[in-house]
Amino acid sequence: MRKAVITIAAFGVALAGCVQTRQYADLQFAPPQGDYSLLVLRPDVTVGSVTTGGMTEPRADWTEAARANLIEALKAQQAARGGKVHIAEHRGDIPSVDAETVAQLERLNYVVDESIVLHKYLGVYLPTKRRKGLEYTLGEDAVSFGRKTGFDYMLFLHAEDSFASTGRVALQVLGIAGCFIGFCAPNVGGGGQLAYASLVDLRTGEVVWFNVLTTGTQIAGVNLGDIRTPAGAAQMVERLLGRMKPGHDVRRAQKAQS
Amino acid sequence: MCIRCEISRRALLAGGGALAASLVSGPAAARIKPADMVPLIGPGFKPVDRDEQGLWEQMDRVEEEIAGTNLLIPDNGIQHYVQQLIGKVGGPAAKDMRIYLLRIPEFNAMMFPSGFAVVFSGLLLRMRDEAQLAGVIAHESGHFLRRHMIRQWRDMRRKSDLLSIGSMVAGLGGAGAGIYLGDYVQLAQLGTILSLFRYNRELEAEADAMGLRLIAEAGYAPMAMSDTWAQLIGELDASAKYRRKHRDRGYDLFETHPAAESRMTDLRVSAAEMTVPGRHYDTGRDRYLSTIAPIRQMLLDDQVKLNDPGASQYVIETLAQDGWNGLLRFYEGEVWRLRNRDSEGDWTRAAQSYAIAVAYPDAPAEAWRWHGVALMKEGRQSEARAALSRYLSMQPHAVDAAYIRQMIG
Repeated sequence: MRKAVITIAAFGVALAGCVQTRQYADLQFAPPQGDYSLLVLRPDVTVGSVTTGGMTEPRADWTEAARANLIEALKAQQAARGGKVHIAEHRGDIPSVDAETVAQLERLNYVVDESIVLHKYLGVYLPTKRRKGLEYTLGEDAVSFGRKTGFDYMLFLHAEDSFASTGRVALQVLGIAGCFIGFCAPNVGGGGQLAYASLVDLRTGEVVWFNVLTTGTQIAGVNLGDIRTPAGAAQMVERLLGRMKPGHDVRRAQKAQS
Repeated sequence: MCIRCEISRRALLAGGGALAASLVSGPAAARIKPADMVPLIGPGFKPVDRDEQGLWEQMDRVEEEIAGTNLLIPDNGIQHYVQQLIGKVGGPAAKDMRIYLLRIPEFNAMMFPSGFAVVFSGLLLRMRDEAQLAGVIAHESGHFLRRHMIRQWRDMRRKSDLLSIGSMVAGLGGAGAGIYLGDYVQLAQLGTILSLFRYNRELEAEADAMGLRLIAEAGYAPMAMSDTWAQLIGELDASAKYRRKHRDRGYDLFETHPAAESRMTDLRVSAAEMTVPGRHYDTGRDRYLSTIAPIRQMLLDDQVKLNDPGASQYVIETLAQDGWNGLLRFYEGEVWRLRNRDSEGDWTRAAQSYAIAVAYPDAPAEAWRWHGVALMKEGRQSEARAALSRYLSMQPHAVDAAYIRQMIG
């Protein structure tokens, strides 16, 4: 009997780890290719350590390293598609627009992203948006921003990563060890990634593509990625942005052609 | 670390379920003496510990957002004035702290981990003089000087660590011995949550004592801080009474801040301790009032529109203890006009206030407008026309100017 419990527990542990993405695109969306220019606005990165008690403690040094790595990875990945990337670390870093205009657009995008998450990911689906892919726009402000700055696209990126502290891992070890005496707590958990990106077409003002990535296991100490390292950052960028799918109409047209 | 936080209490509670609160009773904390409060940091403090560095780094974007929000009161000298005040009562960190004034009609102020403070405009409205405002700012400086944010964080981390280890050990030990300890684990969880709140209350009391010491050293009357609390208690009572309810007296175990009464009493005892008999203390009332003069009408306007007549009337009457004027009388009328309850004669009360307001030389244009409308309702046409013309001459480009002109005919 006890053996059976342990087998089930071990099975559960194996199942628990996963890398998940779910993307939405505008019906007419075709992933940027060839000669395009992309603005990445203030990538928002946080890396922390999960304390024994389960709180995530932000770490400045890890965050710095991860931000630098992600920016490098992003540049490399976009260059491979033919795009020119400008990364604005501060609101004042964008030529021919003032910081206040950038701030306004950033705040607008933030609330639009919030409704995308609410209505596409958190289950509050809107009947008016069914089968319409991603139907959100930042409006005229984004178009005039694009005209002034000359960028074709704008990307917003948010990335979190966290790692279990030694204490948390010890707790995890105890939890699994407990399975042998009948107190089984194999899913202490702690650590993992959450990232999302939204792409705005500055020629139309529309949010044309949105993706959410979650990576993690329910076992503290086992991570499926590490953005503190260049390889881990490249992996996250690939998982989040690498498999950008065209919109529904574009895919159907492609299918009809072939 | 704000002077009255609701949100942080909710955030703390979100960490665990609130169980039967009657199980543990909070011990009465002893008063912290201002003399024992020494700043824990010097000038130009930068964090060296890893956890504190992490906390500071996260604050950069928060500060950028606050510094760029459109709620920020445009700098017409007032922003500069509060920055100077924090320079006066900021102790060793006086030159390091930043302060932002936001247009939010509530009585509150808060300090963030990296040393910037936010003061709500509702606080400026309620302060009767510079000493009172300095008291609030000194309280917030106290949080920074005593390193409260990182101490709170570490306390939370330590307690949640202990709880997790304890629960795991209880589970393992229980399983080994063949008994179920789940109930004890739940009890421990409640104990942990309660002790988090207690630590928070202790830090608030520390900030009060530290603040008192700072204003006394800067030459303000130490009693100013307890006066502020007396005012707040009075206002909450008035607001509750108006709504036929009782004020939340703050004896709650989950309260993040000490009950207003006990805070006021402690502050009063400490202030008596710090007051030097025979010494003249500066209240800075004239300086304060002339500085906020350009926005005082806006502050009053925001307050009366909160639809809290009990509190608004109390605030106006408190400010009028330093003398009534046209502005205060006009807004007294606005409180009742906006409540608009015919059965209680609100309109009559409002009309009386407008009539008194226009007798003062500083009556705002709007007082003439509403006085004119009141006269017209009473059928005193020629007087009404005179009052409305006065309004138009004071504010020829008012949004309703065309409408008023037509009324005058």
